[in-house]
Amino acid sequence: MEPVVSYLGVSALLFTIGGVGLCLRRNAIVLFMCVEMMLNAVNLAFVTFSKIHGNLDGQIAVFFVMVIAAAESAIGLAIILSVFRSVSSIETTDAAELKW
Amino acid sequence: MSFIEFVFAAVAIGSALGVVGFRNPLTGAFSLILHLLSVAGLYALLGAHFLAVAQVVVYAGAIMVLVLFVLMLLNLKRESGRKMGLLRGMVTVGIAGMLFVSVAGPMLSHFDNLSSVGLSEAAKASEGGVKAIGQALYGRYIVQFELSSLVLLIGVVGAVMLAKRKTVKLEPRQGGMGGE
Repeated sequence: MEPVVSYLGVSALLFTIGGVGLCLRRNAIVLFMCVEMMLNAVNLAFVTFSKIHGNLDGQIAVFFVMVIAAAESAIGLAIILSVFRSVSSIETTDAAELKW
Repeated sequence: MSFIEFVFAAVAIGSALGVVGFRNPLTGAFSLILHLLSVAGLYALLGAHFLAVAQVVVYAGAIMVLVLFVLMLLNLKRESGRKMGLLRGMVTVGIAGMLFVSVAGPMLSHFDNLSSVGLSEAAKASEGGVKAIGQALYGRYIVQFELSSLVLLIGVVGAVMLAKRKTVKLEPRQGGMGGE
């Protein structure tokens, strides 16, 4: 059981790396990729807990997260493209028209 | 952790750092593909074979092809920006540490009041085969499964709507606030 627990540490580390990337980077597509990475870290924790408890519900949750991530990527990239068409850049500092 | 688990975990962490660290978004995207494949390897080692295959097909295949397609279409330059100073680096490390502790702490303390013997018995009893997942998806989770197809449909329609909309061309933003 100990070796399985170390997967949770890996998952937390991946989540942290994704979160730090989300804070540091300004390219919208890189931010999108960091969000995907955080979703993946959570998925890894789901699968690990599913293994630890001997219960398949965690794996079902991962399946639904994957569905949401696929829909999110279609819409997110469409939004990024339409932002690029209007401000000719996808850096988040350039698309700050709503900023006071 | 056995050797192969260690290799997959190390590659996953290293390529995740690559996604955050590489200045060129294209290099970051390829690094993310490596990351997704190694996480798929971890799923397979945990016995979730269906999820490992779905990860390779859906994430590393479909989603990353879409991301690379958009990246190539936009033809981006390297991200401009200043180098990280000492203060900014220290703040980043501090935030990362707090985030890590607040994520890992609850997950690890989850085991405090559980009997490890019962848990390892439960882990032996379960088999995460494709058949069991299919039965759960089309049995207990049938409503959620159908709703997820609706979510995908809305995603497709939304993407087409966003792509077809007429866009207003905004002027490039000047430095600082104008028109006070």
